[in-house]
Amino acid sequence: MFRRFNAPLRALFAAAAVAVLATAARAQEPQRGGTMVMIVQPEPATLASYMSVAGNVCPVACQVYEGLVSYDWDLKPVPKLATSWEVSPDGLTVTFHLRDGVTFHNGAKFTSADVQYSFMEVLKKVHPRAPVVLGDLSAIDTPDPMTAVFHFNHPAPYLMMALSGYDAPIVSKSAFENTDPAANPTANKPIGTGPFKFGAWERGQYVRLDRNPNYWQAGLPYLDHIVARFIPDASTRSAALETGEVQYAAYSSVNYSDVKRLQANPALDTTSKGYEMTSGLSEIEMNEHRPPFDKREVRQAIAYAIDRKFIIDNVQYGFGKPATGPLSSNFKPSGLYTDEVLRFDVPDRIAIANKLLDEAGLPRKADGMRFAATLEVNSFGQQWMRQAEYLKQALAAVGIDLTLRSEDTGAWLRRVYTNYDYDMSEPFFNNLADPVIGVQRQYVTSQIRKGVDFVNNTFYSNKEVDDLFAAGAQEVDPVKRADIYHRIQKILVTDSPVIWLSEVQYVTVFNRKLHDATTGPLGTYSAFERAWIEH
Amino acid sequence: MRRWIYAGGRLALAVPVLFSIAVLNFFLIHLAPGDPASVMAGEGGSATPEYMAMLRHKFGLDQSLPLQLWHYVVNVATLDLGYSFRNDEPVLTLILDRLGPTLLLMGTAFVISVGAGILLGLLAGTGRNSWRDGASSILALLASATPSFWLGLMLIVLLSIRLGWLPTSGYETIGSFYEGRAYALDVGRHLIMPALSLALFYLALYTRVMRASVIEQMNMDYVVTARAKGQTELGIIFGHILRNALLPVVTMAGVQAGNLIGGSVIVESVFGWPGIGTLAFAALQGRDLNLLLGIFLVSACVVVAINLMVDLAYVALDPRMDM
Amino acid sequence: MQDALLRFARNRLALLGAVVLLLVLTMAAAAPVLYPAGAFALAGPPLQPPGGRFLLGTDTLGRDVAAGIVYGARTSLMIGVVATLAAVVLGVLIGAVAGYYRGKPDLALMRITELFQTIPSFILAILLVAILSPSADSEIAAITLVSWPGIARLARGEFASLGGREFVLACVGLGAGDGRIVFRHLLPNCASPLIAVGSLLVANVILFESGLSFLGLGDPNLMSWGLMISAGREVLRSAWWICTFPGLAIVATVLAINLIGDGLNEALNPRLRDR
Repeated sequence: MFRRFNAPLRALFAAAAVAVLATAARAQEPQRGGTMVMIVQPEPATLASYMSVAGNVCPVACQVYEGLVSYDWDLKPVPKLATSWEVSPDGLTVTFHLRDGVTFHNGAKFTSADVQYSFMEVLKKVHPRAPVVLGDLSAIDTPDPMTAVFHFNHPAPYLMMALSGYDAPIVSKSAFENTDPAANPTANKPIGTGPFKFGAWERGQYVRLDRNPNYWQAGLPYLDHIVARFIPDASTRSAALETGEVQYAAYSSVNYSDVKRLQANPALDTTSKGYEMTSGLSEIEMNEHRPPFDKREVRQAIAYAIDRKFIIDNVQYGFGKPATGPLSSNFKPSGLYTDEVLRFDVPDRIAIANKLLDEAGLPRKADGMRFAATLEVNSFGQQWMRQAEYLKQALAAVGIDLTLRSEDTGAWLRRVYTNYDYDMSEPFFNNLADPVIGVQRQYVTSQIRKGVDFVNNTFYSNKEVDDLFAAGAQEVDPVKRADIYHRIQKILVTDSPVIWLSEVQYVTVFNRKLHDATTGPLGTYSAFERAWIEH
Repeated sequence: MRRWIYAGGRLALAVPVLFSIAVLNFFLIHLAPGDPASVMAGEGGSATPEYMAMLRHKFGLDQSLPLQLWHYVVNVATLDLGYSFRNDEPVLTLILDRLGPTLLLMGTAFVISVGAGILLGLLAGTGRNSWRDGASSILALLASATPSFWLGLMLIVLLSIRLGWLPTSGYETIGSFYEGRAYALDVGRHLIMPALSLALFYLALYTRVMRASVIEQMNMDYVVTARAKGQTELGIIFGHILRNALLPVVTMAGVQAGNLIGGSVIVESVFGWPGIGTLAFAALQGRDLNLLLGIFLVSACVVVAINLMVDLAYVALDPRMDM
Repeated sequence: MQDALLRFARNRLALLGAVVLLLVLTMAAAAPVLYPAGAFALAGPPLQPPGGRFLLGTDTLGRDVAAGIVYGARTSLMIGVVATLAAVVLGVLIGAVAGYYRGKPDLALMRITELFQTIPSFILAILLVAILSPSADSEIAAITLVSWPGIARLARGEFASLGGREFVLACVGLGAGDGRIVFRHLLPNCASPLIAVGSLLVANVILFESGLSFLGLGDPNLMSWGLMISAGREVLRSAWWICTFPGLAIVATVLAINLIGDGLNEALNPRLRDR
């Protein structure tokens, strides 16, 4: 009943701790062996990454499941379970040549049948993003065991950006056949092809993953074990890094207020890389069915009234940068991002805001206020309450009397995405790897879907934008595609259906003895097959 | 024999109480807006109405309320507290995993508060208006005005951050892999501050009750008689007063059991103590209905069990029950 | 009553409590004058230590901690008084019915009271506030709902013991209605213990409220001491003052009310003086 480790695992941890603490000259050659302890926060509810994209599932599940491809630092797909692929000129078929000699952790051989089953029977049915990402996938042919041919109703260039072990994990047909994919027994004991096998899950404490000796990349992985530890208290997480008990903490599982102190620790290092395909934006949504938010001037005025730098400096402790529009600047390398849009960070922004509100027919009343509204506070942590408190002050300065409402997650989501019983809300969205996957859900008319969370709940509806998003999704030529998204950004920022506050900068804190943990843009959402520990 | 009949009677009384609590909790929680499906889908990024319906069906949320209640009551009666779909784990397992730390924290706080409260109350009551009375009264006054969570934070600042004597939070040193005695000592070091934070308020309460009770007993005829017979003051205190004076403290301890488990929620959240309290808060945030129902039921069971123990202690202490 | 006042005035600790409470009340009343911009105003640079321009320092957003303390006093006292009054009214009603009528209503009501005393009250309050969505109203409702059983038991005991007295029987003989007997004749006779217990309840409610707002269940539009402490937790290592001063304010206020409650208890119930 009392929370303790079993003895062999304790011995194993002890060995790992000694190995990490032992002073050794910094070696450049990767060393075999050792255990990497990482923080996963909070404890995942499930390890079924084919069914849940919650941020705490994949750091564990992505060690076990692999995708057809992975991505390099330029966000270009590179071979994983697929060795090569061809896209037909019309974009309607994609042929994947699969890797031979790969086996699942249950001993089954990996073939095209697994690919077909994973996409058609599992992902298409239970993956939350399937309707968007796999909506146009009509069939998969398996002419031979090492070839899988994907057929689409319309060209789907974005799909090539969503085939990693995070977006589309390949599961074993033998483990899923004749079961309900939503209730498969492997949900908490995943079976994949990845470098680490599922070992044990001690509820409330840790998940242990063991080295897969039969991994298809010979000699990999370097680590013997990965242990994902769940430490609910933020200051304890920081302390665990300081003492060397934990070597890796990603997705800002360490409080921003502690990061500066940890950066001063010579044993620790930090990085902001490995989040290039996540691209979180913090935003304010406004309900256009509730006047005066139906007026563009009002929405723009609010955008002008907010000092984004203040939020970043004082709420996010400096980790982040001002957002300029619906796309994160992480889309700069692909050419999709532009900052040539209406800018709200101008010196006389308060005066402009006041002028816009006057023009909207909302003069200041006797108490100095123009109108009152309620802001639904994001329930995912203290920083959102601080941001809301700042917003209340900032908007009061232009005559908007904000009332804050703070509910728990369930109540907040229901109010904002099902009942539409809100004026303003402060959500957080991930742009993900492609605008089709992470951006358009918020702005197109077809995504006004009652009861579905994190889609278009502002009732913004603009035929031109709908058409542009539809064109962008199918456009194969990169230059034309970039042009489409530049136009979208210009229109959206001018219309301001939502207000984009900041690009959140995640921080990974890690022990300097741990090497090569962040090897690609997916960071913690990819396998640690190349990570190694100095000992 | 009579004691057993009495204890059995109390036990039998507990059953309808627990049943009522189960029904009450069920309806309270179903009044809450939001369901686990919408929270899970929220984590999913974007989901179709079909996907949400599938989740709701999986959780049994598409059944009628009376049907859900009926299933719940039947299950509770067979010790099946249901399944936490968000954790993919039976509710009872989740709770039992966390019950240990909470009972350890509550038990330690209980022993500290009752033990020290009795001692201080005795010191104060027997030396009325002396310096010991004054000192323990001031301590009790301060302690009963101090919020446990703030005391906890101040202890962290003083004992952990400034002096470095005790770990800031948690249940054990992560990755230390202590065994046996060393492990117990390690947990004990983590236990000191949470237990103190939780105990202090109740310590004040028991001190006051004990003091009043001792003073009342001191004026009883039997004490005057004993004094007249020439018994020493210490003999009178330990031979007569203590046993009688304890009764109101024991009564109060039973009444406070429910508050103690509630207080541990907040103390657990301050110290990252992996108990029922943190589980309850997480369940509330994640709208895990089954888990919340289970936690309420189990914590009510704990309270009923403590009350039963208090009743038994009463039986042992109250001379009138000697037959 | 004169005697009671005199006895109260002779109790030096109770007087001290009264002085402290008066100070807190003045502070709460003067808040808009002292800090016209409000408790949430971004008054200066963040994380300024105490002393200097900001007497008690500033928090992570640059809000004046002193302003928070002053406005927090309003929230604490308001919720403390309103929730206590509501709990007393509810408790007296239930206790009066149970104690006056005895028999079946008594049995049923006391079972319900016991039930509410068995349920961990803080967990129940958390749940209620979450269901009702955090606001001052829902905090008051939740605190009321978990605070009445104690009052009800006390009232029941008092009413039951008064119920058989001659003057009550006389009233019944004269044909007075039940409501009249309960409210005109019985209630004034058990006012003393109720006032004493009620004043102590105010202190407990303030502690309770600070706990709720510490867990993030307070009204986000009202500055409260619990909220300040929870907001300062993240920077406890580097900025001790954000958590420390609101806590001291809670201790001082609760202590003062407890002292007054004790004083009232002794003054109004002289037979209990030795307790």
